Amino acid sequence: QKVQEDLNKQLLDNLMSFLIRPHSEFQEKTTEWTCRMKFREIPTAALVLGVNVTDHDLTFRSLSDFLQNNITPYIAFLEAKDCPGIKNLMQKLMGQLMNCYINVDSLEDEDCVQVSQNRIRCSMSSLIKWYESVTKKMDSETPSKKRTSSSTHWQSPPVVVIFKDMESFTTKVLQDFIVISSQHIHELPLVLIFGIATSPMIIHRLLPHSVSSLLCIELFQSLSCKDHLSTIIDKLLLTTQFPFKLGGKVLQVLINLFLYHDFSVQNFIKGFQLCIVEHFYSQPLSVLCCQLVDLQKRVNSLSHDQCENIRRLPSFRSYVEKQEAGKQVALLTTDNFLKEETHKLLEDLHVYHENYVSVLRCLHVFTSSLPKYPLGKQIRELHCACLENPVWETKEYESSLQLVRMLSKSDLVTMLQQCLKILLSSSGKEFDNTVEKLKEFLTQFQNLEAEAFQGKGVSVSSQKELQKKTDLYHLQKSLLELKESRQSKKLTKFEMLRFEVVDYIDNLVRKYLVPADHRTLHEILYFNTAAVLRGHLNAAPRTALHTALNNPHWYLKNQALKCDGGSISNKAPDICIVYKLHLECGRLINLVDWLEAFSTVVMAGEEPNADTASSDQMDDVIHARFIRAVSELELLGFIKPSKQKTDHVARLTWGGC
Amino acid sequence: LAKKNKEEKMSNLVEEYFEAHSSSKVLTSDRTLQKLQKRRLNQETLRDLLKKAPLAYAAEIKELNQQHESLFSRWMLQLHLGFNIVLYGLGSKRDLLEKFRKSLLQDSVHLVVNGYFPSITVRSILSSITEEVLDHIGTFCSPLDQLEFITKRFKEDSSLELYVLIHNLDSQMLRGEKSQQILAQLSSLPTVYLIASIDHINAPLMWDQAKLSLYNWLWYETTTFSPYVEETSYENSLLVQQSGSLALSSLTHVLRSLTPNARGIFRLLAQYQLEKKDNPSYPGLSFQDFYQQCREAFLVNSDLTLRAQLTEFKDHKLIRTKRGADGVEYLLIPVDDSTLTNFLENQDEDV
Repeated sequence: QKVQEDLNKQLLDNLMSFLIRPHSEFQEKTTEWTCRMKFREIPTAALVLGVNVTDHDLTFRSLSDFLQNNITPYIAFLEAKDCPGIKNLMQKLMGQLMNCYINVDSLEDEDCVQVSQNRIRCSMSSLIKWYESVTKKMDSETPSKKRTSSSTHWQSPPVVVIFKDMESFTTKVLQDFIVISSQHIHELPLVLIFGIATSPMIIHRLLPHSVSSLLCIELFQSLSCKDHLSTIIDKLLLTTQFPFKLGGKVLQVLINLFLYHDFSVQNFIKGFQLCIVEHFYSQPLSVLCCQLVDLQKRVNSLSHDQCENIRRLPSFRSYVEKQEAGKQVALLTTDNFLKEETHKLLEDLHVYHENYVSVLRCLHVFTSSLPKYPLGKQIRELHCACLENPVWETKEYESSLQLVRMLSKSDLVTMLQQCLKILLSSSGKEFDNTVEKLKEFLTQFQNLEAEAFQGKGVSVSSQKELQKKTDLYHLQKSLLELKESRQSKKLTKFEMLRFEVVDYIDNLVRKYLVPADHRTLHEILYFNTAAVLRGHLNAAPRTALHTALNNPHWYLKNQALKCDGGSISNKAPDICIVYKLHLECGRLINLVDWLEAFSTVVMAGEEPNADTASSDQMDDVIHARFIRAVSELELLGFIKPSKQKTDHVARLTWGGC
Repeated sequence: LAKKNKEEKMSNLVEEYFEAHSSSKVLTSDRTLQKLQKRRLNQETLRDLLKKAPLAYAAEIKELNQQHESLFSRWMLQLHLGFNIVLYGLGSKRDLLEKFRKSLLQDSVHLVVNGYFPSITVRSILSSITEEVLDHIGTFCSPLDQLEFITKRFKEDSSLELYVLIHNLDSQMLRGEKSQQILAQLSSLPTVYLIASIDHINAPLMWDQAKLSLYNWLWYETTTFSPYVEETSYENSLLVQQSGSLALSSLTHVLRSLTPNARGIFRLLAQYQLEKKDNPSYPGLSFQDFYQQCREAFLVNSDLTLRAQLTEFKDHKLIRTKRGADGVEYLLIPVDDSTLTNFLENQDEDV
């Protein structure tokens, strides 16, 4: 568990730094611009942030930190939910500004009184008064302090107000605030920053012309969330830094959730976190999922039970079967031998992963520039494809190799150079050969240039010959000849070389991109239960209700409940019978008929074992059961009482679901 | 092929929707529960009857529950890692959560919120936190302030831990936008652990992206098939009582506590209303006529006493006044005719 927490933390820290990096550029731009503004109108920065609202918090936080360090201590965050009216807005604004101020110079205690006061009267004029007093104090202060150093060239530091979610503010409040603050812009240098999720059009839709003319808006675009995702995948999954890996299906689920549901990087991270938790919780051998340095120690400290666990792993079993008899016995009986072997295998796995990443990148270089992207444009698609099954067996891989074979020389050379760079930077030892080979290819290509020209000349002359002949019969004949000759024609040296390169790459791929599932002991490092993940992250409560109501057999393992989809079994739980009967109705349901149908079905079920003596009693019980079932359906939201007709209920769902 | 199948299914669904909603005419029989020769059941008899009916498939349900219970320790771990847990599926999840509470939360501070309880509010949840968990006496002007206070306290003191169990997060009182927002913010505090259950099919519609990320849900399917006993006891079913209108028992209860004269006044009005029940345009009895009749029956002696009496009725929602087109006040008893007949019959027996 401790390991897991460490790992978790490590991952999250890493992620944070990646998230912040792309922002920082964008922040610098914004801050620069804030400095530049000279105030005639209210300067406003509109940040177009994209629909993934949940990720914005981080952006804003780092932005405010940045502003605080460089320009002004006065920053207020306003969120729509805190500001239903202009009064609340002002209150919040003042509270935050004064708090900001206190945060910045927390050394001085003198201002504590101020905070308690601010709740009482919060008007623009009191805000201005406060601002004046603060700035005056600042001017008089010695310039030795850090904060005042910024204020020396900023005689009056601007007050930045950040509207986090522009779309959810009420227009009235926003307009009022802008009009009010524009009137005081001389005394109080305000800068507004809007966070916009949709498009800059929204400013004009929310604010009428008279108000938006008071603003001096500049647009800033933030990075798209897809780019974030690629950086995250790049740095998180395609590194050797973290021993924990995702299986192909799981990765697919996470990416699908991202692309088809919410575009939220935060949720992607959450999913990843969940994977880690699940992996370390459910897999007893996940102790071994650690850096190579710690591996030896942990393998040695394995208990007998854990060794048994290793033996039980499916991938290990198939490994054992391939060994010779003597070794098999040793593996299955002596723990110490097993430990040694495990250590070796895990080391292999780590090495495999290192090689995998660099070869994957090489392959990506080749496939990402092909027309129509048979293997995908992004490296994550390639990664998924490689993880799921042997990539060379797929049709897409075939077609992309075909395309590579037709590449022109200059492209091929640049690609080879890129590959060289990647392989050189990778730490794997096995690539020395490869690097040599690639270099050799490159020099050969350089030598080839002259010869390639000659080859062209030959083909031109043969075409000239073709044009001379005009007779139809001769033409046909010569064409046939030409065709034959072309088939048998020796490939040019360049083409030979090209084929050689492609074959070599192909070999590389076959050697190194074996999917992880085929490796021994992959269960320790890879998390592969996608169904669990999907169930927890992207649940479908309606489907669960539907199956439970339609097909109770799914949950209650009783033989009596087994029946075909359409018919109503009279032995099902009450609510299922009532539900099935309600499915047969239209939009309105008559309660009396419903009750009668229910009691018919139930009586048919009861008859064999119950005597008819207490039929009246029975009736009451059935009535009560019906009432219970109906009110349960009402609670679940399938029906609601209707006023259209007496004793009717309206159905809220349609069809069979 | 699968895709095509799916498309067909989709278009089928669409057609089904329009089929269900296109025709304004609904073909159902005109039978009503009134005509059914059976007395209406009230809550108590209903409960008794249901107790008699054996619970079907008890063994299987128990097995299901045991399956869910094996997840408890996993839940604990996940709660501590910053996730919150939401349970969905058919059947009441109340017992399951109770068991969870009893087995794992015995020693820690926890708060149980019965969402199905009709008078629960977010405010009461928040105040129970501030008053009982944080030992803070004092009032707040708005739930937002209260939330701010709680957040501050929890952030300051990281040893403070609180488990919140909410039964039926999607109930009538808690499903509002504002309450969900507040609960989401509460649950996003790192040392507040939330486990909630939902039942309504459209419950996930309550949450937008921002709230979902605050809640940080992990979904667990816990289909229990156990009946919603507590939950539906507050659901005013059509078959038990008409919601909004008065039931016979309450009518008699109220009237029993009145003076004989007052009872007479009500009786007079009821009789008059029943006489005119076949006339659909009957606006009610005008005050002047009523006064006249009451005087004749020696029930009141002045305009004022009658008015005072009527106000009392009005407070108990026994009568309703309506102003007609001519500005005259009309008095009506907002109760079904059948209940009223029953009531009159009972009164006659009593007397």
